[in-house]
Amino acid sequence: MNLQKPGLTLYGLFIVMAFLAAAALLLGVAVSSILVVLLIYAALAYSINFITGMMGYVDFGHVLFMAIGSYALATLVSYYGANPLLGVGAGAVLGLVFAFGIGLVILRFRGVYFAIATVVLVLAAYNIVLQLPQLGTGGEIIFNRPLQPLAPYFTIWTIVMIEIALTYYVNRSRIGFGIRAIKSEEDAASSVGVSPQRLKLIGYMLGGLFGGAAGAVYSWSTSGVTAGPAFDFTFSLLMLAMIIIGGVGSSIGPLLGAVVVYIPSYFLLTSVSQAQPLIIGLLVIIMALFLPDGVVGLLRRSNDRLRLVLE
Amino acid sequence: MKDVSLDLPESAVLGLIGPNGSGKSTLLNVIAGVDKPTSGIVKLDSKRIDNLRTNRVVRYGLAKTHQIPKPFSNMTARENVAVAVLYGRRNIHSPSSALQEAERTLSLVGMGSRNDAPAGNLTVQEKKKLELARAIATGASVLLLDEVFAGLSPEELKDSIQLFKKLHEELHFSALVVEHVMRAVLSLSQKVMVLEEGRVIATGSPDEIVHDEKVIQAYLGSKNPAT
Amino acid sequence: MVAVELLVRDLAFGLMLGCVFSVVAHGLNIIWGVVKVVNIAHGEFIMLGAYGAYFLNLFAGMNPLETAPVDAIIGLFVGYAFYYAFLHRELHNKEMITLQSEMVTLAATFGLSLFISNLAIILFTGNPVGIIYNPGILQFGYLTVPLAALYVAILSVLIIAGTWLFLERTFIGSAIRAYAQDVTATELVGADPAKVASLATALGFAVTMAGGALLTVWVPVGINPLMGALYAPISFVIVVLGGPGKMWGSLVGGLTLGVVIDLVQAFATAQIAYAAAFLILIPVLVFRPKGILK
Repeated sequence: MNLQKPGLTLYGLFIVMAFLAAAALLLGVAVSSILVVLLIYAALAYSINFITGMMGYVDFGHVLFMAIGSYALATLVSYYGANPLLGVGAGAVLGLVFAFGIGLVILRFRGVYFAIATVVLVLAAYNIVLQLPQLGTGGEIIFNRPLQPLAPYFTIWTIVMIEIALTYYVNRSRIGFGIRAIKSEEDAASSVGVSPQRLKLIGYMLGGLFGGAAGAVYSWSTSGVTAGPAFDFTFSLLMLAMIIIGGVGSSIGPLLGAVVVYIPSYFLLTSVSQAQPLIIGLLVIIMALFLPDGVVGLLRRSNDRLRLVLE
Repeated sequence: MKDVSLDLPESAVLGLIGPNGSGKSTLLNVIAGVDKPTSGIVKLDSKRIDNLRTNRVVRYGLAKTHQIPKPFSNMTARENVAVAVLYGRRNIHSPSSALQEAERTLSLVGMGSRNDAPAGNLTVQEKKKLELARAIATGASVLLLDEVFAGLSPEELKDSIQLFKKLHEELHFSALVVEHVMRAVLSLSQKVMVLEEGRVIATGSPDEIVHDEKVIQAYLGSKNPAT
Repeated sequence: MVAVELLVRDLAFGLMLGCVFSVVAHGLNIIWGVVKVVNIAHGEFIMLGAYGAYFLNLFAGMNPLETAPVDAIIGLFVGYAFYYAFLHRELHNKEMITLQSEMVTLAATFGLSLFISNLAIILFTGNPVGIIYNPGILQFGYLTVPLAALYVAILSVLIIAGTWLFLERTFIGSAIRAYAQDVTATELVGADPAKVASLATALGFAVTMAGGALLTVWVPVGINPLMGALYAPISFVIVVLGGPGKMWGSLVGGLTLGVVIDLVQAFATAQIAYAAAFLILIPVLVFRPKGILK
């Protein structure tokens, strides 16, 4: 593996992102309002990839960070008339801070216990939000802003670009080696000098940071937030599905997974709305049981050249 | 464990033997920072390390292998050792340099041909060598070896003992070797300590230990029925 | 009613609720303890058990006490199917669940959970339904105890005791307990690991669905496709409180949770009560990862 220059994967990803930028600029509002959701999905996938894909800690409760970001932006824009970009920044910072605090406690739990703890936190947060009148009745906050689809679009576009670069860098750097070691054998990793506490917290905080940012953009693009959908575990399922389908831990995986998951669900939105989690659920079951390393894993195993190129 | 104290000079090899359950592995775990002692202290080069976590202890130059090998099965052998190079006390932070160092270490332990093998596919002996390579690659000056010679065929055992001697000559580490395989302990250690039920019942040169009454009793039960 | 009387009433109801919670969690406990797999879709099977009770009530006039055994038998078949679909491949040639396969089963059962609940929304519609079952009340001084709750509590305890007897006193039960401790040892005593694991899974599902049926007494208007989302975390907390694999742990955890929820509900809203119940999990995990039963 040549570690000096960035490989084809990174260039490929940047080219795809360039297309997405061009498409939004040239093809008008209709297209960018579809693509903005794709990019939000991708951003969420990259964020959960840090925690679950790279570190192997299954974060069922990742929707929590998305909700934090959503509420951060919604309160700032709705109650204080702030610029949405500030809301996105707030979402990111709050996501980071909450991840730090929560991570200190729950990252000591392994496997299933960690996964359940994340679920418990979401449920508790949901119930608490419903009790807080500052966050709207029934946790609903709506705002009205002039229609400006390109602003959220390029915000989330930038966020995804940063995530791609960061994911790519982490995978190839010293930190990546440490994280992969933790994913495989956490105790053996300590015995060669890796500090699991530190690396796990870093990974979890990255997940919180970008999850919060993506959640903020989501509420920006939907002009509001409601408690029920904000804490919906279907989002967690979507995020897990995207990285499982794409290939956990990889740099391409989350974007690939987002495309696979989003494109069909856009067309399905016109039919039964319950069908989306149904099909995604089925897809996750099949992928998890038969293709646990995703499309990227499959391609890498099938061809030696692809194995060297796809990251 | 009760009243166990030992002293490991530079470049010395201390063998630690004793019947099952005598506390050998526990002792290694306490020294390496995996478990905390209820009383007593551990010092490395006059620095106290018993209150430190395992990864900090590695920074100070002490590394322990695992009785049942724990390779990082999502990586190749070379990458496994590279983790140790990157996170040990060698201050090598570049993955490409680390991978080169790892190759060097692997050929040192005779695994040069297995650089690109997925660690999960290695044979048991190769996994044990990988454990050793990882420990060495951290740059440790003190190695704690937990039954590295167990489960080997006579041929493999001979090779492993030779390998250890060669490594010791080249690298001058000090080592605490916990073993059941007598041949290995006796041929490699300058001094041997015997534990039984958490207590030290004898220390001395390998020759002295082999003839020590208490040691024979500990291993064979109350009185040797043959005498 | 005076404060003490209110307390006693809450305690009594909490204990009865707790008994049902115990059964609801017990299936998860069995599967977790024996096969070492955590079924994220656990809540959905509780929901299916509840709907089973509802439909049997609607079409055959059966009450939850009668439906429970029927649900249990259905659960056996469902359990076998689940084992062969999800677990057999992972477990067949390996000693235990490795970290990779743990991630895999967690993800797969998470997908299953959302699949089943959304399928249920489509098939049953989201409207909550309920069963009317009122065999009467028992009066202990100031304490009014609905017989439905009492019967269901008794049956719950019987189910837990029954599974305990099964595991302790029968040969197959011992094989299951052996498997839980050491898979290879099971082969050495002449039992087929696949048969043992599949039976344990089937048993777990049987208990789960029976629990769903008994639960309907406590949710007279609340049977809905998403109820799994509430009872799965409750089950998880119960099993962790009692210790995975400890059979009586389900009862200890269940009673504790039932009492806590009922008591907190006396002062605060139901939501806070449930939030509190869930949050108990965190300190328990921090201080006692193996549960409160030693």
